[in-house]
Amino acid sequence: MRTNLFKYYDEMKQDGVFLYFNGPVSQRVVEGLADSMRSKMRAEEAGMGVMQRVFSILVEQMQNIVRYSSDRHVDSTDSGGEMAHGQVVVGREMDGSFFVACGNKVSAKDCATLTASLQVLRSMNKDELKAYYRERRKSGECVTDKGAGLGLVEMARKAFRPMDFDIVPVDGGTSFFSMKVVIQ
Amino acid sequence: MTKYSIQATNSSPSINFDPDDMSFEIKGESYPENCWAFYDPMFRWLEQFFSVTREERVEINMEILYFNSSSSKTFMDFFEMLDTHAENGRNIVVNWRYHEENESAMECGEEFMGDVEQIKFNLVELTDIRESE
Repeated sequence: MRTNLFKYYDEMKQDGVFLYFNGPVSQRVVEGLADSMRSKMRAEEAGMGVMQRVFSILVEQMQNIVRYSSDRHVDSTDSGGEMAHGQVVVGREMDGSFFVACGNKVSAKDCATLTASLQVLRSMNKDELKAYYRERRKSGECVTDKGAGLGLVEMARKAFRPMDFDIVPVDGGTSFFSMKVVIQ
Repeated sequence: MTKYSIQATNSSPSINFDPDDMSFEIKGESYPENCWAFYDPMFRWLEQFFSVTREERVEINMEILYFNSSSSKTFMDFFEMLDTHAENGRNIVVNWRYHEENESAMECGEEFMGDVEQIKFNLVELTDIRESE
């Protein structure tokens, strides 16, 4: 590990990043980061609407890390003690729109389902996403012990354009999942 | 029956259900780590309440600044439970309160309103900051 972090600092700045986290994510980290991001956007006088959308996507992405990252620090059945490794990045594009991106390891066997879900969402327009969301929320079929399965749909609805994602194999059992959501 | 009272945290709302003066309020932000674990005791309290109370009219005030997707599902389950009691003859009113600048809270209220059948669902816009505190 180098002593001088200027290279990281400079790269982040060039990419428009104003919040970067890489490490163990717990519910407390979710609350802390989401809150500091909200303060930062408030200070920049971003509109209430865009601030709420960025906040919402950051919370969904971080809670997904807590639930689904295969790189777990504490794999406890106690709901209060879960912690999983992942990264989140919040910043602004050159055109002024905000983005929230996340990355974490996932189990390779889950990737086909994840890819299929995201491709379905990418193909839908605003009205289709709204109808799909309401249908899934009412049906109750999507509920698992990990959540309602509505997080990706929620993000797709708040995204300005179809969400980008990428999956690369790490080893036989694990892949690395990244996604980026642009908000206006 | 005893009151059901929960204090707010950063990620979970305050819940104050008082059967003596028939006031019911859920207020704050809702993105707890485990939504089911947080709301399950509230659901159980309400089932108990509906089984013992004879009151015809139940009015619930909800003022949620932000909620995550799991909470959204849980609120839908909550409204469906209330819908069932309304179908069985109760007069159930939900007041969905939101600040005028909180566009997303308003839109969420509109969507819930479209998805309930038997309960009366009111959208209440708060214009004065003091009202929402």
